[in-house]
Amino acid sequence: MSKYSRYVVADSSKCTGCKACELACFAEHNKKSNGVGFTVGTVEVPVTPKLYLTKLEAYCMPIQCKHCEDAPCLNACQKHAIYRTEDKQVIVDENKCIGCKDCVMACPFGAIAILPKSEKGTFKLQKDKEVVKVASKCDLCEGIEGGPACVRVCPNEALQIIDADCETLAKNIRAAEGLYASRF
Amino acid sequence: MRVVEIDKNICTGCRECAKVCPAYAIEGEQGQPQTINTDKCVMCGQCVQKCKSYVSIVTHGYDAYEKVRKERGIPESVKEPLFAAHNITHINEVKRALADPNVVTMVQAAPAVRTGLAEEFGSELGKLASARMAAAFRALGFDYVYDTNFAADLTIMEEGSELIKRVTKGDGKLPMFTSCCPAWVTFMERNYPELTDHLSTCKSPQQMQGAVHKTYGAEINKLDKKKICSVSVMPCTCKEYECSREEMNASGERDVDVVLTTRELAWLIKDAGIDFNKLKDEEFDNPLGDFTGAGEIFGVTGGVMEAALRTGYELITGKSIPAIDISDVRGGEGFRSADIQVGDLTLRVGIVSGLKHVVPVLEDLKAGRLNGYHFIEVMTCPVGCVSGGGQPKLLMDTDKEKAYKSRTHTTYKMDKDLPIRKSHENPSIKKIYKEFLKEPLGEKSHHLLHTHYKKGAAKTIK
Repeated sequence: MSKYSRYVVADSSKCTGCKACELACFAEHNKKSNGVGFTVGTVEVPVTPKLYLTKLEAYCMPIQCKHCEDAPCLNACQKHAIYRTEDKQVIVDENKCIGCKDCVMACPFGAIAILPKSEKGTFKLQKDKEVVKVASKCDLCEGIEGGPACVRVCPNEALQIIDADCETLAKNIRAAEGLYASRF
Repeated sequence: MRVVEIDKNICTGCRECAKVCPAYAIEGEQGQPQTINTDKCVMCGQCVQKCKSYVSIVTHGYDAYEKVRKERGIPESVKEPLFAAHNITHINEVKRALADPNVVTMVQAAPAVRTGLAEEFGSELGKLASARMAAAFRALGFDYVYDTNFAADLTIMEEGSELIKRVTKGDGKLPMFTSCCPAWVTFMERNYPELTDHLSTCKSPQQMQGAVHKTYGAEINKLDKKKICSVSVMPCTCKEYECSREEMNASGERDVDVVLTTRELAWLIKDAGIDFNKLKDEEFDNPLGDFTGAGEIFGVTGGVMEAALRTGYELITGKSIPAIDISDVRGGEGFRSADIQVGDLTLRVGIVSGLKHVVPVLEDLKAGRLNGYHFIEVMTCPVGCVSGGGQPKLLMDTDKEKAYKSRTHTTYKMDKDLPIRKSHENPSIKKIYKEFLKEPLGEKSHHLLHTHYKKGAAKTIK
């Protein structure tokens, strides 16, 4: 098991901004709870992804949770609705979340959005008929076969899962090789 | 006319659609909203299938969805995501016709529709829903539940006879190309007008069925053809353009009044509050809803070819084809060819699946390098109509291969399970020739079931 939490990161030089990642993220997370099937016609609720395409003048890429080791969102949440799994992933428990937005304030990356909660194909409503909205962020497709859907569907292979340990090791090796080659 | 469009307010400019467009019709800078060049667009709808840029509450706000839905004339009952690339819907025309007591509605659905429709109601990919679709049509209130598969059988009678005439009597250009796919026909007319004599003069099954609805169909049901609204459900976005072509009025009226895609049929069923998954299977109406396995396989690449060979073999040799499953013509995207022994004749056939692959074939034909071919089938969409632009749209393209395979498998299984698998053995086809059409390529057929193609310069579709 890795020492650190893993996370998905996008390469802006490859990302075209197609939003296939957002749609796949929503589809995978709503199969059981909202009866989403294989096709668009099976969707009856707003698309609520857990990563967000961010489009700037010259480039674009989806932004998603980095599953911080000292997670500001987790530390900020007074309802203990954000927890860390055995795999070190940082997860929002949507049933505990009250939508107070402390996590949104705490996250330095804007990786959390407050989005409507749907169950069985319809909005979940409060007593005043207002739609329940909760924190929505990447859970690295926890419990979903095949791992993060965004990585799987990207037509340009712009997304990858980062394991900081491997990243460090790979870069150490490259640096060593470079130093070795330049010793003459 | 407007068929396929990209909404500039929603398009992110990813140009993923441009990668799948077989006509290179999508124009724009990377990262900027795209436009469709209608001089080039063949209206196949592959961009509609590809586009993932949806109306989002995060990007566009909470009110945007309702605004876009209304702009596009989509019923309030529709809740599914809406995307930048879309086809213009005609669902309201169908709803009006169904609600009007003075209108008699006749419906037809293409073979591929029944291989995808159930997916929109949560089924696994490619689940067959032929008899259930017939039940849905009746529940929706269609007066006559007919089937494009009947006209597919009719197409084989006409196109098979035309091929035999061209091959054995030298009457007409070879190779003969199929003409069922309106995007392909449009591409040919625009880009290779000098080669249109190679196209079969047969109308597509949709247009044959439409012409028959308002003539023979009106006759046998004792109806005034002016009161008939002929509705067609297609896996295709281009079929709406096809039915609006000015020459498609052989019955004296517009032969097909309105076209819905498979996806729009699902909207219509949901809009009417019908629980599709609880419907009990029903039959199509006789005789214009009778079909064979040969008609059903029109939905997949190589299907028209296989259906034509099953009948052509018998018409030429007078004997039954030894092996009814002609696996040599089955396959996937690209260009493939086969030599089929038909008595003393070796028939050289080719199958193009995916419009991009037809260009080298046509260039070879122009340069005189395409020798020996008799018959070539061309379908614009990747693996034929089951992968059409109007079919249920996948949420994840990683499911595409499985969806195509499952819908194709379902098509061949349905063919295999049908008691009659050759078009010329369809009793209702025999009946319509006996009572009405008289003979393939006869005078009535010529008038109702055959057409001509535009030969002038490329025409702008507006």
